[in-house]
Amino acid sequence: MAIDIFWRIPTHGEPSSLCNKLHHRGDWSQQEGDHIVHRGLAGGGSDGFNSLDYIAEVARAAEISGFHGGLIPSFPMTDEPWAISSFLARETSTFRFMIAFQPGFLNPVTAARMTASLQRASNGRALFNIITGGGGPAQLWWGDVAPHDDRYARTTEFLDVLRGLWKGGSYSHHGKFYQLENAALPEQLLGQDFPEIYFSGSSDAALVSASQHADFYLSWLEPFDQLKEKFDKVKEKTDKLGRKVKCAVRVDIVARATEEEAWREVRRGFENLTDADKERYARFAQQTGDSVGANRQRSNTPKNLDNYQDFILHPNVWSGFSLLRGGQTNGIVGSYEQVAERLDDLVRLGADSFILASTPHLEEAYRVGEEVLPLLQGHSARNSVLRAVG
Amino acid sequence: MTIQFYWQVPTRGDGRLADAAVKLRGERSNDQPYFTAGVTDPRGRQFNYYDHLHQIGKAAELAGFDGLLVPNDPQGEESWIVAGYLTRNTRRVKVLAAFDSARGSAVYAAKNAVSYQRYSNSRFAWQIATPADAAERRANGDFIDDADIPQRTEEFVTVARHVITETGYSFKGRFFEVLEGGFKGPLSGQAVPQVFLTGQTAADLAVSAKLADVHVFGALPLAELKPHLERLLELSAKARRPVQAALRIDLLVRETAAEAVHDAARQARQQGQTALPDQAGLWALQTPGTGAARATLVGDADQVIATLADYAAAGIRVFQLGAVPALEEAYRIGEQVLPALRARLGLTQQQAA
Repeated sequence: MAIDIFWRIPTHGEPSSLCNKLHHRGDWSQQEGDHIVHRGLAGGGSDGFNSLDYIAEVARAAEISGFHGGLIPSFPMTDEPWAISSFLARETSTFRFMIAFQPGFLNPVTAARMTASLQRASNGRALFNIITGGGGPAQLWWGDVAPHDDRYARTTEFLDVLRGLWKGGSYSHHGKFYQLENAALPEQLLGQDFPEIYFSGSSDAALVSASQHADFYLSWLEPFDQLKEKFDKVKEKTDKLGRKVKCAVRVDIVARATEEEAWREVRRGFENLTDADKERYARFAQQTGDSVGANRQRSNTPKNLDNYQDFILHPNVWSGFSLLRGGQTNGIVGSYEQVAERLDDLVRLGADSFILASTPHLEEAYRVGEEVLPLLQGHSARNSVLRAVG
Repeated sequence: MTIQFYWQVPTRGDGRLADAAVKLRGERSNDQPYFTAGVTDPRGRQFNYYDHLHQIGKAAELAGFDGLLVPNDPQGEESWIVAGYLTRNTRRVKVLAAFDSARGSAVYAAKNAVSYQRYSNSRFAWQIATPADAAERRANGDFIDDADIPQRTEEFVTVARHVITETGYSFKGRFFEVLEGGFKGPLSGQAVPQVFLTGQTAADLAVSAKLADVHVFGALPLAELKPHLERLLELSAKARRPVQAALRIDLLVRETAAEAVHDAARQARQQGQTALPDQAGLWALQTPGTGAARATLVGDADQVIATLADYAAAGIRVFQLGAVPALEEAYRIGEQVLPALRARLGLTQQQAA
């Protein structure tokens, strides 16, 4: 057995480095001169390029560099992963499309047909990041009405139906959320691999659902002891139900030839922050919401926001990433060797898979694939003792 | 006047004439080699039906069609996946995905559609049709009553249209709900996919007058179609919104009428029909494979061109054409029917996408 390493697709465009706040790539910045403008054909007329062409290049970079594929996130302000996956199926070879989606948004029969069709279009390269978290008005924005705890029950039932249809033959189901009578996938759509499921969610209801359907339990990076506790709990719970669930960590990294260069990158990004950026961050840190995972992240915020070093939680673990770009707070910063060592530490405390990201995703896919991945011991690291950290 | 020609892309079972069901083009079944043991086959299993779908899409584009129709066939590949796959691999044609209003959240469908628009220079369009057969609906997890279908279609289109075109949009209907919805930033300002709706009943026409950009009629002899067509245009005028009329019709065109009739009769026999086509014209002959039109126009190119021109003269502005096998026939029709038909109708040969 060995670990799987994925990359992430920047669906919201991105700047050319962590130090730059303008999203030159993609069309998220719209000021004159601050983003790439497709210039048209030499002889006149539209060249037909759009932000998907950059995403396609990141996906190709990831597959060329040795990643299994990439997480394609889904946010209110970004393009949708089902679209990206079907569009790019033909021009990629080994890149696996990890589609983030909330089961409540699709009829399960439609979802089963889409999934099987995408498997055929991509030669079996679709997998899921099933999301159920969030809640309240945000959910209604998407047109979804189920309350928080019910939604995990619905996720479970949705995946039950998907698996039921996947087996072939006539399938009926009378559940709390879904009813089907004599449903069936057509013959030529059968026999595909069922998509691997990366499951997100930190509440107890989430863990119950994960224990029935998840292949990988996906967490953001948390302080290592907290993460170990969480993984132990997940593995214990799911072992009891007879389903072996593996664990995965979604983490941003800054890897450079030397540790000093890596921290310089972080420091420069930090020094570029405006007071307004920091105030926004402080406000976020004080909020509480329905998402247990987001609340866990907020608990690590330092009291004052003056020195980037105050955000260092462990050697090579920095908790200020959400200041520099949207998303999770914690990430790994260090030399190629150090980053590889920290990732191996995470393997020792239970990680079986990683979703890595670094800005800009195109160039960094090559750097990480060429410099960091070859240093990883992966599951072989488990044979050596966990070194003391922090 | 502009007239658009769509070509139907069969999401399963395409192949030469009527034995398409036997072998999927491009696809190897597990154990049965196509060639005898004495002949090497270099293909292995590296191709499947999607390679053929890709060929059809390119063929239709090269042969001068304006769009591709991807039918919603529960026995075929899923239409949005096929549409995305074909859109990325074509440059100019519109891609019209057919689906049903039970596919899930209207907001989610709209949001995905926005990505399709952004990634295709607004070439994506929707054909929304819900199966008339209740058992087929229940197999799709859809237990709606017949009478409620028009309302759900209306809510679906209404919600989708509004979240694409505005923000802060709230709606609470019988089937869909959204709070403070609508897409912002680069997702805003996209064209709402053109909405195609179908059906022949008075209720269908009423919904179309209210919501559709295009209403699709099944193939009928022109004399029978005319009252429906006039009714649609009347309702559209009353609603003060333009609704274009479309005709979904299959073609069986050959060099001579005799050859066309001969092949039509063979198709009819293969389908177990006893009344065989014996002259050129519109026959209630279902093209084998997926998403057949309700009738097939049989004849030589001149005969077919004349009949299609009559439909255009009566007010049809969009033709959804199909034939089997889809790849070969896209070229035949693109070469032998479209240029002469366009010339006859006074259309330029290529319309801007």
